[in-house]
Amino acid sequence: MRYDEERHRRGECAMHIPDGYLSPSTCAVMYAGAATGWYASLKRLKRVLLTRVIPLISVFAAFSFVVMMFNLPLPGGTTGHALGVTVAAIVLGPSGAILALSIAITIQALFFGDGGISTLGANCFNMAIVGSLVAYGAYRLIAAHAALSSKRRVIAAGIAGYLAVNAAALLTAIEFGIQPMLFHDAGGPPLYAPYPLSIAVPAMMIGHLTFAGIAEAVISAGLVAYLQAADPGLLRGTSGLWQEISTRVELRPTGGSLRRLWTTIALLMLLTPLGILAAGTAWGEWSPGKLAHAANYAQSVNAPAAIAPRGLQRLSKLWTAPFPAYAPGFVRSRSLGYLLSAMFGVGVLLCLSLLTQGMIERYRRRGSPA
Amino acid sequence: MPPLFQLRDVGFHYDGISALSGLSLQIAQGERVALLGANGSGKSTLLRLLDALYFPAQGSVSFDGTPLTPERLREDDSAMAFRRRVALVFQNPDVQLFNPTVWDEVAFAPLQLSWPKETVIAKVNETLELMGISQLRDRPTYRLSGGEKKRVALASVIVLDPDVLLLDEPTATLDPRSQSQVIDLIQGWKGSSKTVIAATHQLEIVEDIADRIVVLEEGRVAADGAPADILSNHELLLRANLVHAHRHSHGKLTHSHPHIHSHSHSQHEH
Amino acid sequence: MSGTFLESTTMGFARAITRAMLSEHIAHQRGLLQSLDPRVRVVGLFSLVLAVILSRKIAVIGALFIGALVLAISSKVSLSTLVKRVWLVVLGFTGVIALPAIFVTPGDTVARLGSAVITEQGLRTAGLLILRVETAVTFTALLVLCTPWAHVLKALRALRLPREAVTMLAMTYRYVFLLVETATQMLDSRRSRTVGVLPPAEQRRMAVRTAGVLLSKSVETSNEVYLAMQARGFRGDVQVLSDFRMTLWDYTALLLFLLSGGLAVWKGR
Repeated sequence: MRYDEERHRRGECAMHIPDGYLSPSTCAVMYAGAATGWYASLKRLKRVLLTRVIPLISVFAAFSFVVMMFNLPLPGGTTGHALGVTVAAIVLGPSGAILALSIAITIQALFFGDGGISTLGANCFNMAIVGSLVAYGAYRLIAAHAALSSKRRVIAAGIAGYLAVNAAALLTAIEFGIQPMLFHDAGGPPLYAPYPLSIAVPAMMIGHLTFAGIAEAVISAGLVAYLQAADPGLLRGTSGLWQEISTRVELRPTGGSLRRLWTTIALLMLLTPLGILAAGTAWGEWSPGKLAHAANYAQSVNAPAAIAPRGLQRLSKLWTAPFPAYAPGFVRSRSLGYLLSAMFGVGVLLCLSLLTQGMIERYRRRGSPA
Repeated sequence: MPPLFQLRDVGFHYDGISALSGLSLQIAQGERVALLGANGSGKSTLLRLLDALYFPAQGSVSFDGTPLTPERLREDDSAMAFRRRVALVFQNPDVQLFNPTVWDEVAFAPLQLSWPKETVIAKVNETLELMGISQLRDRPTYRLSGGEKKRVALASVIVLDPDVLLLDEPTATLDPRSQSQVIDLIQGWKGSSKTVIAATHQLEIVEDIADRIVVLEEGRVAADGAPADILSNHELLLRANLVHAHRHSHGKLTHSHPHIHSHSHSQHEH
Repeated sequence: MSGTFLESTTMGFARAITRAMLSEHIAHQRGLLQSLDPRVRVVGLFSLVLAVILSRKIAVIGALFIGALVLAISSKVSLSTLVKRVWLVVLGFTGVIALPAIFVTPGDTVARLGSAVITEQGLRTAGLLILRVETAVTFTALLVLCTPWAHVLKALRALRLPREAVTMLAMTYRYVFLLVETATQMLDSRRSRTVGVLPPAEQRRMAVRTAGVLLSKSVETSNEVYLAMQARGFRGDVQVLSDFRMTLWDYTALLLFLLSGGLAVWKGR
């Protein structure tokens, strides 16, 4: 796409949401979420040396900033920009990465106008917080207990990077996509981001952001391989391999098992649809008159892009059916139904696997000699 | 008078690689010492041990009679007192210039040591004037030339009026004019009660800045004495990798002269 | 040779540096915004950004946009600077995103383009989005162009942002320049040894290698900065000197900012 090349030539990253795309209430909610993440991260890091944290996070933020400017040639003849969130999560751990990326994103917003001020909370939440958590979680899970210099870690970093960027992109798309349904004028047209979920989600995911996912995978895998050769000590912090504190980077990863991490993620995915609902009702955006409009509008624009498998259609109806007739129209939209089903499904799978793992482990422990 | 710094059998290593071992040294107040050694000989490490940024793995480093230990540096009072009295100028000024503007940079140390606001402002302006960088006060630290960076780095510690100045390669990478400015500054401290310990590998400036030379070779003291003695001991200098032997031939004769690294090869005579 | 990693990334770096230089240049001019206390600038301009996103009427946002123009001109920010560095960039991104909305938004037909229909609602949506983004970005750009970065930070700190956060913002900004300089040197030396365009795989390798060296340098630098901070007495609590003083002019300006913002929100609701 021509405009893509133009923007890439100017070194801009596409996932930063500018001012004006998100309604004030969305911005406020996202700021609240981001603030929680920042507060939690800062508290966690203060347990380590604050004197050490300040220069480390700052310089790493500078590194992320610079890496975000790299225009990477990707397989297939396109180019893309990475975020650097995965490397940050691998070297600094999730709390450090959250802060470092948030700082980089703030400077981009303030100084370069890449991303808005009102949407800073949303951008940090999507890229810095969710990005770091997904990158860290995926990396730890996939790399497991592999040796520091093993190829498995390189692959884990690549996959983690791809997942992290796409998770951030999905969140961004959802934030865009719910705008027209929740915030529109009396006549119906959207006040902020103009496209509903059915357009926003595919557009963001299939479009150049998938390229950003590949770019992130390339950089993450490449940097882990580089560190394995040049400075393996930096990988030790999040390796989960042993307790020894590396002399160079003294930041310890967040304590607690991986299991806890995945449980949290699984629960979050289960709760997400409820969260979206709650956010909608809380803002009292719907009056009966507007509901009618919303329903009509949602129906007219939400023609599904392709024939979905019947099973999924049935499942999505399962989602929307329980909601009473006076619920806002968007809840009944088919595409949101698909999305919620997917999230719910993944959440269920995660819970099941965690339960199974827990049961197996308990069985093994009981059976093994004291 | 007891020595200001006393190092007894000090050992230090990075990740298993030994940087210093069995190093013993005494430095009295008011001395101007040059730590001479090739890169990798342990000069920087030694300076950092003297500034209580590192602590020895073996042996002890004492300042003013009491050993420098992590515990001592954790107490606010003794830590602040030490930081005011002993100052280190890093080899790479970029790591020492981490504040937004030059003024902020010079004001950083006094503010950290909780000096009152008016004193800070007065001292900072005075120091900027002294170093000839008043016109740079509002300049961002990333937009300075090499010589300017060095002067700001020096100013950032001189503002404290420390008793001890530890200088890590004070003139390396500087253009000749900046170099002479720094040397002038160091010479200005001659006769004052300040103790100056400068680490360098540049033989040509040593006589200007020091009355005593300590040669480091592979993590231990190889020689310790007056500049005249040390600098004429070519064998020692060669061994410590501070000069290189230059071999050339005229017709059938081949001889080698020890050369100071920066000497132009066209300048030697027979 | 456009589009290759070396060319476009180096150009991106150069753009960042020139932007910093431009900001320093404009910040030292004598203009309207420059005459105000930095805290007033931050609060005033951010409140106008808030007004932009709270308003729902194009006319009101348009008025805010004109206000931004007036501020710009009286603060010695040339229109060509704004066009080149702010407006065109936004148009390139948001303009393209908003374009399909003209056709896709259901409503009253206004024109036809072949089989595609342009609706009035579509035009309004697209116009609203573009105008909002342009105006908000202009206000933010004015803040940063007319204020030295150090003052922006001091203002944020004075406005009760956590001290550690501001310190990290300051340090990050400062070290971005160091890393950009290092990266530019690496890339320049590579460019001088390269003839023609390298295959993408080789470019990727180069990019990763550059990033790797930058990473090592970053960690090393942070270790040294840590020591340097300690050596100058840093013990975890950042002490700063606050020396901003509000004058009558500052209070008046602040009042004007807030009143305009409030008026815009009220008129545009």
